[in-house]
Amino acid sequence: MRAIRNIFRRKLRATLTIGGIAIGVLALVVMGAIAEKMTLLVNGGTEYFSDKVTVSESPAHSMAALPMSIDRVAEMEAVDGVNVASAGCTLLLDEDGGASFGMPAMLIGYDLRARDLESFEVTFADGRDLEPGDQGKAVIGSDLVKKLGVEKAGDTIEVRGRTFEVVGIMEATLTAPDTTVLVNLPDAQEIFYDGLPEFVQSMVTQDEVITDLTIYPDEGVDPDQLADRLEAQFDDIDAIGPEKFEEQIGSIADIFNYIVYGVAMVSLVVGGLSVINTMTMSVYERTREIGIRKALGASDWRIIRQFLTESAWIGLIGGIIGLALGSLMTAGGNNAIEQSGTAIFLLTPRLAIGSLAFAVVLGVLSGLYPAWHAARMNPVEALRYE
Amino acid sequence: MSIISVKEVYKRYQLGRENFVHALRGATMQVEKGEMLAIMGPSGSGKSTVMHLMGCLDRPDRGEVWLADRRVDTLPHGELTGIRGKEVGFIFQGFNLIPTLTAVENVALAAEYAGASRGKARERAEDVLKEVSLADRMGHKPGELSGGQQQRVAIARALINEPSVVLGDEPTGDLDTESSREIIGLMKSINERQGTTFVLVTHNPEIGDACHRTVLMLDGAVSEG
Ligand SMILES: Nc1ncnc2c1ncn2[C@@H]1O[C@H](COP(=O)(O)OP(=O)(O)OP(=O)(O)O)[C@@H](O)[C@H]1O
Ligand SMILES: [Mg+2]
Repeated sequence: MRAIRNIFRRKLRATLTIGGIAIGVLALVVMGAIAEKMTLLVNGGTEYFSDKVTVSESPAHSMAALPMSIDRVAEMEAVDGVNVASAGCTLLLDEDGGASFGMPAMLIGYDLRARDLESFEVTFADGRDLEPGDQGKAVIGSDLVKKLGVEKAGDTIEVRGRTFEVVGIMEATLTAPDTTVLVNLPDAQEIFYDGLPEFVQSMVTQDEVITDLTIYPDEGVDPDQLADRLEAQFDDIDAIGPEKFEEQIGSIADIFNYIVYGVAMVSLVVGGLSVINTMTMSVYERTREIGIRKALGASDWRIIRQFLTESAWIGLIGGIIGLALGSLMTAGGNNAIEQSGTAIFLLTPRLAIGSLAFAVVLGVLSGLYPAWHAARMNPVEALRYE
Repeated sequence: MSIISVKEVYKRYQLGRENFVHALRGATMQVEKGEMLAIMGPSGSGKSTVMHLMGCLDRPDRGEVWLADRRVDTLPHGELTGIRGKEVGFIFQGFNLIPTLTAVENVALAAEYAGASRGKARERAEDVLKEVSLADRMGHKPGELSGGQQQRVAIARALINEPSVVLGDEPTGDLDTESSREIIGLMKSINERQGTTFVLVTHNPEIGDACHRTVLMLDGAVSEG
């Protein structure tokens, strides 16, 4: 390739420029991979919460700081529009929260009463779903296989000081269930109760403590309106419908997207300036060559195309290197984190292609001015240049 | 029949705000088809400038330039580019070739600019390089060639589109006597065999001797010839 020969005429300069772009693309790929993971998580959550309401004790109102009681189930189900209120007990999988970034792994116990109403489909890579009465049994998410040292259904795991038999391994959903251990409600209640301070324990019983309710509305009832009605009726709960979920969680995803755009802008400016500088110097050094090319009959467009091709290649090579480093880093990062928690990077094809396209466009845009400058040169003056 | 006709051309360059260099002041000359013409004269007398006008690299401020039977000084920018590519060949002094391209690529470039495909251009470049006895140097970069060999590549490049005129600005300027004679001989034999018109701006009296005619310039005008 002639363009590449020209680029590497000045090896150090070319390497530095390409390195600059590679770093920009690397940052873009790494940040983008976090954002992609985040987006999928949020999308999965949005899908899951699209037809239900989650109810928890409002921290602002629960003076006694007591956990939610299972009596709430009957209270909620008495409300018009509520079909089933399913009790859940949600705990951190690692007592200390684990040293993981991203989504912490969770241990969730639930009463399975609303299983037939659940629209979020989960399939099993191995084994089966949890059944009522599966005491001491668990279903685990795909991301936890490595962390918990599970090979197949039937293996046992140790969580929160208890031993469970794994009856099923869920297929990857790319969202929350991947990092979740599901058990029957009583098992989770036992762990939850044991972890409560003694004075709280003295005020509640093990089989009544829960952390949240998942409300499945009657057919035709809008979950957002139902959430509003629940909050109006009970001033000591927080009821989160699909809209509020999107508001809260969506904004977190938005922040990540803004960071990606921020990184993209910074690398656009830094990488772009570096390419402009390199191409301008290259045009200047090759003034006489441009004069000769023009004397040979090169049209302005030919000259523009020549320099744009060079700057596009600078972008592409930088992009490829950045992408290669980025995929190494995200793969390595995921690998390291998987031991303790969950993958936080997701390098999607659209991110990979987008980053490369970004680098090439960056190269072309930065080459525009120098190329135009070269094309506009007066051939006689260019030929006089030594 | 004149293949080039330059009539009463003026060209000035602006130096400062009010300062002008008058490079050409009413120069007039004709070049006949098939002729080998030398343009000589002291430094700064306007030789290169007049050659640039003939080659459509620039336009005069006043006066007319005719190439074959066409007035070219009034043509738009794009057309001048086309004429440079197809109807004129250039040879310059030293640093004539593009350093990153091999001999054959340098020659082929001119054909590509004139619209030939890369493959076709290369084929023709190989043929022309054989004509200037560089068959064994096709893949060499300019830096790996002697000054004389480089100028032969430049001649091959000037000839590839079979132009009616080859314009040379000091084509032997950077060469030692022996290579210089070799280049002069080559141009002369091309002129004799193919009838290509040569206009050679030079300080080298041997070129003057080899040419059919010499025009002498002084202070931007033709003083003799
Ligand atoms: N682009 C330019 N800007 C300013 N002055 C110029 C430019 N081109 C030529 N000149 C001036 O115009 C005059 C004629 O220049 P030209 O190059 O035609 O001379 P020449 O006869 O070819 O000289 P030489 O033998 O040294 O090559 C000179 O005084 C030169 O300095
Ligand atoms: Mg000159």
